[in-house]
Amino acid sequence: MAEATHNVIIGNGSAGNGAAITLRERDPDSRITIITMSSLPFYNRYDLPRVFRGCHDWREILVHPPEYYDDNRITLRRNSRVIDVDGRSRTITFAHNEVMHYDQLLVCAGGRGYLPEELSDYYHLMHGFHSFESAMITHDALPQGGTLLMLGGDMIGLDLARTLIDVGYRVVLLANEYTFWPHRIEPEERDGFLAALERMGLEVVDGMHPVAIEEGAAGKPARRVLFDDGSDVDGDVVMPFYGLMPTAEFMLGSGVDIERGLLVNPQLQSTDPRIWAAGDVCQIWSEADKEYRFYYGWTNVRQMGEVAARNVTGASEDFKGVGDERLHVGKDGYIQSPFWEY
Amino acid sequence: MSERRNRERETAAPAAAAPEAGGVWYSDDPRDIGWVKENIPCQSACPAGTNIPGYIQAIMEKKYGQAYEINREANVLPGILGRICSRPCEEFCRHAQPGNGETVNICHLKRASSDLKHVGHRITESLYGPSGKRVAIVGAGPAGVAAAHDLSLLGHDVAIFERESDPGGMLRYGIPAFRLPRDILQVELHNALRLGVELRTGIEIGKGKGQLPLAKLRKDFDAVLLSTGSMASVNLPLKGGIGKDDPDSIDSVEYGLYFLMGLHRGEKKTVGKRVAVVGAGFTALDCARVAKRLGGTEVTIHIRTAEEYIPVTKDEIFECKREGIRIKGLRSPSQLVVDDDGRLRGIEFAQNRLGGWRDNGRRQAIPIEGSEFFEPCDTLLIAIGQRTVNDYLDVKLELDRWGSVKADENGQTSRKGIFAAGDYVTGPTTIIEAIGNGRRVAAGIDTWLMGRQRRRQVVRIEPVAEPLRERGFDFIERQHMPTAPLSERNKALTNEVETGYDEALAATESKRCYLCNLKYQIDIDNCIYCRACIEVAPKNCIKLVEGVEIRNDGTYGELLETKQWDEVGAIWIDNNECIRCGACFMVCPTRCISITRNEFVTQDI
Repeated sequence: MAEATHNVIIGNGSAGNGAAITLRERDPDSRITIITMSSLPFYNRYDLPRVFRGCHDWREILVHPPEYYDDNRITLRRNSRVIDVDGRSRTITFAHNEVMHYDQLLVCAGGRGYLPEELSDYYHLMHGFHSFESAMITHDALPQGGTLLMLGGDMIGLDLARTLIDVGYRVVLLANEYTFWPHRIEPEERDGFLAALERMGLEVVDGMHPVAIEEGAAGKPARRVLFDDGSDVDGDVVMPFYGLMPTAEFMLGSGVDIERGLLVNPQLQSTDPRIWAAGDVCQIWSEADKEYRFYYGWTNVRQMGEVAARNVTGASEDFKGVGDERLHVGKDGYIQSPFWEY
Repeated sequence: MSERRNRERETAAPAAAAPEAGGVWYSDDPRDIGWVKENIPCQSACPAGTNIPGYIQAIMEKKYGQAYEINREANVLPGILGRICSRPCEEFCRHAQPGNGETVNICHLKRASSDLKHVGHRITESLYGPSGKRVAIVGAGPAGVAAAHDLSLLGHDVAIFERESDPGGMLRYGIPAFRLPRDILQVELHNALRLGVELRTGIEIGKGKGQLPLAKLRKDFDAVLLSTGSMASVNLPLKGGIGKDDPDSIDSVEYGLYFLMGLHRGEKKTVGKRVAVVGAGFTALDCARVAKRLGGTEVTIHIRTAEEYIPVTKDEIFECKREGIRIKGLRSPSQLVVDDDGRLRGIEFAQNRLGGWRDNGRRQAIPIEGSEFFEPCDTLLIAIGQRTVNDYLDVKLELDRWGSVKADENGQTSRKGIFAAGDYVTGPTTIIEAIGNGRRVAAGIDTWLMGRQRRRQVVRIEPVAEPLRERGFDFIERQHMPTAPLSERNKALTNEVETGYDEALAATESKRCYLCNLKYQIDIDNCIYCRACIEVAPKNCIKLVEGVEIRNDGTYGELLETKQWDEVGAIWIDNNECIRCGACFMVCPTRCISITRNEFVTQDI
């Protein structure tokens, strides 16, 4: 009897899980493995602000019950880091030196928060929000009613900000060109959107350039951000929200084309016909825009995973993306974004 | 008996006969020479053939002067290359192979050997007697300086003719001082040339008035070496529409090479607030970093392909970004956009897609029709490549299709007694390639002048009593190069960015090196096939083999592995997989595993 096709998915987020279940539906006999660096099964990253609403048990944010993977005959490899993919031998190498063979590979490794290189020296003084564990650490570091200094303010950060304000924290937004990422804001629209953020309760500091972060002095809040004009601002926690950058380093030797993310055609196939990509890790060719571009947000990402899986199993379907990508101000005077919809 | 068995029996004996009671011995056996070439990947990747494990071990032992001298045997400018080398060695470091972690910071350690050696360190030079031969070298760049050094050691009288006021070529006029401090440059150039090399600066070779014709040089000297580099910019092809073919004719548009050379000659250079740099090599990155220091607030490097494919080090890209410089990929400039007054407004680019691979290993980019877009800028610096210039030649030399002088492996051109080396022959490469090529051509000139080869490369083999590494060293993280704070960098163009390893960092990083020059070998006559070594090995490095292929050139080839005990001819350490942890040596109950240090040395013939 022929051995079952081994479909390997790197990444256990929305794209990876959307792909996995689609693969299972369309190819019941295939072998499916999901590899994730996380210690937890699939949870929705868009749900992480719930940590500040009292959700401190990881079980509460899981999308599927634990038996989901067994029920669907999906092997979930947690705490596993891929360090190399060889497209010629169709093998994956793990950090612990294991080598795994694949027939079709779906790269759904997502993105991680981008930290501008000029601030990299201060990484240890900042808090993250990329995982349940990091969200809990941030929660524990931020005293009730304390102040968050938010650098940049992409839509992931602003989603957290509205929760924090709602439950009684103070959020100071140090706005810059990354504010509202991934939305492309026209210069004439910017002030209006910043005003909407102020209506939502954020304190907006615009046009200041942070150059350093320090620990706060005794009796003062735990952090201090210094600006290039010599001024500063105090807060309990500093969090960078400068958008996402694709987690694609492990693919550098794979033979597929990469710019910032994996370059894929509208069917989400890379330059290696057995390697596909979906989610924040890929740049998709847009004939309309004549460029490789990213598509963000839960709806896009989920759809990408499903489209890629259908194409892996013989379809020839283009990813189209959600129609409306615009940021706008709602009737309540607050900003609304399709990025937040899921 | 199978052919494979015959091969195995052949390889059962050591490649070179060892002396009875230990001690050092020398081998010219192809198997030993091949072993060094294949098993020390960093050294093989170094165009100058630097004995990298040798100098890293010296650093580990805090013998910095010795480490510097080991470097200097292959590369006469270690303090300079320790700062600006393109580091082809690190790409091939065994520590960077999948599952082994990250490459050793070979280049940073090279710099450490220079920085940490004693003040007043005594340089070791092995001088030959005077030959009575005179050699003229045209161009005091890295290839010319390396060749001059070697030729002067070999006893020849050397004179360098340099058109600029100071020696160094691209080192002095192309690389900014924040990457290469001029005091380091000065000292190492002086050390390279002080063995009687006559340096004549401000002299231009050519056919014009006040210039010295090459034909005269050839008449006055026994040999002439041309090492004038690739000191002209490659033109940027642009669509018409601006009425001028030469971008230099527009204010605030300049070729990056001339921008840097002018700056380093002492000319005052200015840039606008928004600076665009087109290009993807070290020159492009240097232009961007200089522009940032000259007051550019939005400095962007525009590249045709993607960051992954550009021929600069990752550290350099990181420092660029850290200084606030952006890199934007997949775009080719199609035309300049100027206003009615002829001032630059910006650049029209076409979006690219990645194409195939070029012969030179670089990635192709293919502009997409109809994808043009506009990027505003105030200053444009173009650094898309460099080329050689031959218009100074008054002697007819055969050229290749790229316009470079044709030369054989010894540097001999089509005209007897005229040699060529470095970027002048190969086209633009890297400093270390130019040095390596300069040294090889110097050896070729020596052979030609003396009528015989005077030196040869052999393998020095020295028994080592026990492993020099601990397994724990394999888990040490890569030690990053300390750098100056951002606030200090923009204060002066001369403030060095990378501040160098101190002794503690150098010691820690040096431990990470596997010391691939150590050869672990099993004496199968004493092996009892207990498999203990296989059990403890952290890698798949000890193999049961039927035999080992011997290639036509006499070097070892493929291991013929087997899993059948009745076919096992030997138990063999695959030194390509081995990480020199020493675990096999420690566990062996019969002490049948030996360690030797195998390294290239040069011997007189």
